[in-house]
Amino acid sequence: MIRKLTLSILTLAIWMSQAAGEEKAPGFRGDIMPILFRAGCNAGACHGAAKGKDGFMLSLFGYDAKGDYYRIVNEMVGRRINYAVPEQSLLLTKATGKVPHTGGELFTEDSEYYKTIYLWIAAGTPDDEGKVPEPVGLELSPDSFVFEGVKKDGNLKVTALYDDGSRRDVTSLALFHSNNKSVISIDEHGKMKSTGAGDSHVFARFNRFTIGAEVIVLPPAEGFTWNNPETHNYIDEIVFDRLKKLRIVPSELSDDETFLRRVTLDLGARPPTPEEFHSFVADESPDKRAKKIDELLADDAFADLWTAIWSEQLRIIGGNYAPVGTHIKAAETFNEWIRTQMRTSRPLNEFVAEMVTASGSNLRNGPANLYTMMVHAPRLDPKAFAADFSQVFLGIQIQCAECHNHPFDRWTMDDYYGFVSFFTGVSRKPGVEVREQRIFYDKKAESAKHLVDQRPMPAKALGTVEPVSQSGDPRRALAGWLTSPENTYFSKNLANRVWAQLLGRGVIDPVDDVRVSNPPVNGPLLDALSEHLVESKFDLRSLVREICNSRVYQLSCAPNTSNKLDTRQFSRAYLRRLRADVLLDTIVSVSGEGKNFQHYAPGMRAIDIYPRTNGSTGGDHHGDMFFETFGRSDRSTISSTETSSDPTLSQTLHLTVGDTIMQRLDANGMIRKIVEKSETPEAALEEMFVLALCRKPTTGEQEGLVELIGNATRDVEVFEDIFWSLLNSTEFAFNH
Amino acid sequence: MSRRDAIRDAMRVGSLGALGLSMGDLFRLQAAEGGAFTMTKGVQKTAKATSVIQLHLGGGFQQQESFDPKPEAPVEIRGSFGITKTKSKDFLSDNFPRTAEAFDKLTVIRSLVGKIPDHSQATYHLFTGYTPTAVIDYPQMGSIISHELGKKTELPPYVAIPKQNGFAGGTGFLSSAYGPFEIGSDPGKGSYKVKDFSIPEGTSIERVDRRNSARQIIEQRIRKMEADPDMLDTMDGFYKQAYSLLTSPEAQAAFSLDDETEETKQLYGSDVVGLRGPDRKYHPKGLAERLIVARRLVESGVRFVTVTYGSWDCHVDVKSNTLDQMPALDAAIAGLVTDLDQRGLLDSTIFWVTTEFGRTPKINRDGGRDHHARCYSNLIGGGGFTRGQIYGTSDATGAEPARDGLPLEDLLFTIYNQLGIDANKELLAFGTRPIEIINGGKLAKGLLA
Repeated sequence: MIRKLTLSILTLAIWMSQAAGEEKAPGFRGDIMPILFRAGCNAGACHGAAKGKDGFMLSLFGYDAKGDYYRIVNEMVGRRINYAVPEQSLLLTKATGKVPHTGGELFTEDSEYYKTIYLWIAAGTPDDEGKVPEPVGLELSPDSFVFEGVKKDGNLKVTALYDDGSRRDVTSLALFHSNNKSVISIDEHGKMKSTGAGDSHVFARFNRFTIGAEVIVLPPAEGFTWNNPETHNYIDEIVFDRLKKLRIVPSELSDDETFLRRVTLDLGARPPTPEEFHSFVADESPDKRAKKIDELLADDAFADLWTAIWSEQLRIIGGNYAPVGTHIKAAETFNEWIRTQMRTSRPLNEFVAEMVTASGSNLRNGPANLYTMMVHAPRLDPKAFAADFSQVFLGIQIQCAECHNHPFDRWTMDDYYGFVSFFTGVSRKPGVEVREQRIFYDKKAESAKHLVDQRPMPAKALGTVEPVSQSGDPRRALAGWLTSPENTYFSKNLANRVWAQLLGRGVIDPVDDVRVSNPPVNGPLLDALSEHLVESKFDLRSLVREICNSRVYQLSCAPNTSNKLDTRQFSRAYLRRLRADVLLDTIVSVSGEGKNFQHYAPGMRAIDIYPRTNGSTGGDHHGDMFFETFGRSDRSTISSTETSSDPTLSQTLHLTVGDTIMQRLDANGMIRKIVEKSETPEAALEEMFVLALCRKPTTGEQEGLVELIGNATRDVEVFEDIFWSLLNSTEFAFNH
Repeated sequence: MSRRDAIRDAMRVGSLGALGLSMGDLFRLQAAEGGAFTMTKGVQKTAKATSVIQLHLGGGFQQQESFDPKPEAPVEIRGSFGITKTKSKDFLSDNFPRTAEAFDKLTVIRSLVGKIPDHSQATYHLFTGYTPTAVIDYPQMGSIISHELGKKTELPPYVAIPKQNGFAGGTGFLSSAYGPFEIGSDPGKGSYKVKDFSIPEGTSIERVDRRNSARQIIEQRIRKMEADPDMLDTMDGFYKQAYSLLTSPEAQAAFSLDDETEETKQLYGSDVVGLRGPDRKYHPKGLAERLIVARRLVESGVRFVTVTYGSWDCHVDVKSNTLDQMPALDAAIAGLVTDLDQRGLLDSTIFWVTTEFGRTPKINRDGGRDHHARCYSNLIGGGGFTRGQIYGTSDATGAEPARDGLPLEDLLFTIYNQLGIDANKELLAFGTRPIEIINGGKLAKGLLA
């Protein structure tokens, strides 16, 4: 033990003599902070926690270097740093596990990390003098990898770029992680090993930057034959190009019945009628699918569905609690304003810009309700509002940066507080009647203050350096920046949401968690969709038309051997449970029996329902038990995952014995009429299948069900039971 | 990464078998990007209790008229009521004669310390142990218990009677599968029927079987397409589970009052009324039946039952509010604790009467009391909690704790402890961010036997 110690002192003496020589003593920001980061000292689970850990606190991932210097050097004189005997500094003895340390041993005495910290202490823990070069970005080399099969190795090298133009290899100081360890694993030195076929990303983090490299691990080439599928448009070219690289063969084109049901549910929020089914199947024109898409796009139902989607996203709830400004009358004004924009094909950038800059009465100026509905509260909280605003319109979650620089993205606290300042002046005052609130911009309002040093942060757009000009209401500048064609965050966010609505999964998913470490699964695809949106002057219908006409949208959900496991590259249609409101409308549609909603006139469609209440609009509001059971957003937050299509036991119980189906099995004697007019049970079954599933029964189904019916060919109850099973089938509840 | 969305996707492991989660979800999770769900180990503990019945009195319960009367204070603090003695010579408000009789089984806490006198935030605090934040949504105690202890029988581990409180939060960063099964119907009403939980009258079992047979025939087509076998397994699993719950006499009986005698119902005070209703008639409050069902569920293996009762936000006329709602509460508390004890369930069942905060010491000019979170009362019994104890005292006016002030976190910590759960244990939100079940809670040894 003593010998070992002597030895290490000896080595240190050598290092020290080096330090005294030409080598400069390590700097705090440039050398020590990266070690704390790399060793995980300032991670959220350790001393980076809000209240520190075991009595020692560091700023999370080092957002506050000055404070960290103080806490290490000055807070406990003689303990954390021991100038007389540097190797007895807790900073070193804890990190090497020589004294009990919750975090265990982080590095050894013979590591470079130890040496650097030792030298820094021995040099008197110099604080940085003058300007320290700031990292401005990272580079990875290589920046993409293709592995032929599993158990192949690769190395990642990370270079930091500094604002003085210098570069430094920081591979030994960076943290690494893989987005999917079942495709690629990566160790703490940046060494990779392929583990399974697929595509993913590996990431390196250093300072406040995260950078990713794409990794493709190829399945065996044998058995793979690219079948050169026909392409309908550029979407197919891009998706198929990607699939070919991944050695995935896309599924076949779906049949006409499946396409008809899929597109009618997706664009019209309802199932096709039997008449539509028969005429579409009989139509022999080669462009009948394109014509069907145009027909559905021209229908008001398309606009109404998108009104429902925006209404949910912007959290429209109508209440009767005056101080919040969300009276039913305000909700109705806002909802109908959205409907008008959707029905008249208002360009989406103008649609958003008008809301962003809106002022005036909540009862008369619909778009001004962006500032009453998105955050339900008596006063607008600029922080909560800015966080929701950025998540809805940019897909970016900046709220992490309220307390620390975003650990997995580029957003800093400067970005956050600058963005919040766009809304610090948004204010309300009572109008002429109790339900009325007038939205106005208070030009005297102060900017948000930075958490660390309390300096005011004037309004500035995300990722920009200079604040916007502050003459008056900065929301105009915000709207200009936000909705300009150059702001691809905006156009990509909208394009991605539209894509996700139609394909069941975003190119970035979840759609409102856009960050460096959650990259698109197909970058060129998202770029192309976004460009299409911009070039079409933000025309929603144009983008939807393009997507629905693609072969990718029209693929079958039946997999082949190569794409069975694909759940994210759009090589086949994925099963998607219908949205709660569309499912309810679908049940109503095929049973012919309407549904009434509280606070609404009878006979409304579920997609036209936003929650209404007699009281306050704070908290959860579903608007109907069915919506609650089937995961429609309760509008308590703007998060995209509030809307859930996860199956649950309660849903199954409800469809099995609940009133939604029970009341409709024998509604209007519909099944009775079908049975009575059908000459054979087969004919009745066919009519019921077309009605409920938009297809004829298979031979197997015919035989099985006819056997089940047995002699009871005129027993209406038996056919009602079969109707039950149609409404309880996976094919019915899902789009496929 | 942040918030519920990121979390939910990353946090689904372990929910398999609980309500709503599927093999499909699990497979998707395994394939999902981001770190898997792991947790920092807590200390292994032995469970003294296996179940909790929480009776929540929403709105802010008046401790002065119930568990912490101030008989010697001036009338504007004391209010309209006197006191009643327990066998151990402690006293409760005279609104609690039956509870005073059964008090040798219970602990009253008079020095509970909350944080925020706001319904929504304080209720969230009570149910989750945390005050609400914009970034992290915390799970409810019932969800955490389901997550930690799992299902005991085919019944869901967390049940709300009749529904959960609207401010109580949700499953937070845990999967929605850990949410409460809401029975959606009030056992105290003649029309009581668990929502979507029984085969409709007039539908024969033959029809039910025929429906399921026909469904299986129709499922074969999509099965053969192999579109998403995990999802299809999930759906089939739910249909099987639904069928078994709907047709299992045990599962059905767990929710039913049919086997309960009139005597038992009266023990819980099923005939106790309050003030005349708007129709000039007296009506029983239905709490007795809710608690009987809660007891039946615990007997059948449910881990956490939350029962709600009454409307206690008495800014105006605390006297009428008390006279109307308190008698049934008194009878039901005494009835449940007596019944649990007689059945030998009291040692394994924690019975806990909660409220989000108390009321102000001084009666306001409307004859009501306002919100007061700095010192208020709860009642707890069973599961190893002391039998027959007053824990803590409030000062002369009841404004602040005078002795043994008990932070809400400590109470929650102690309840977890009795269930064998170390609340210092950290669950990982976002896949990387450790969150203690209770932040900074301590074991309140003084509460335990």
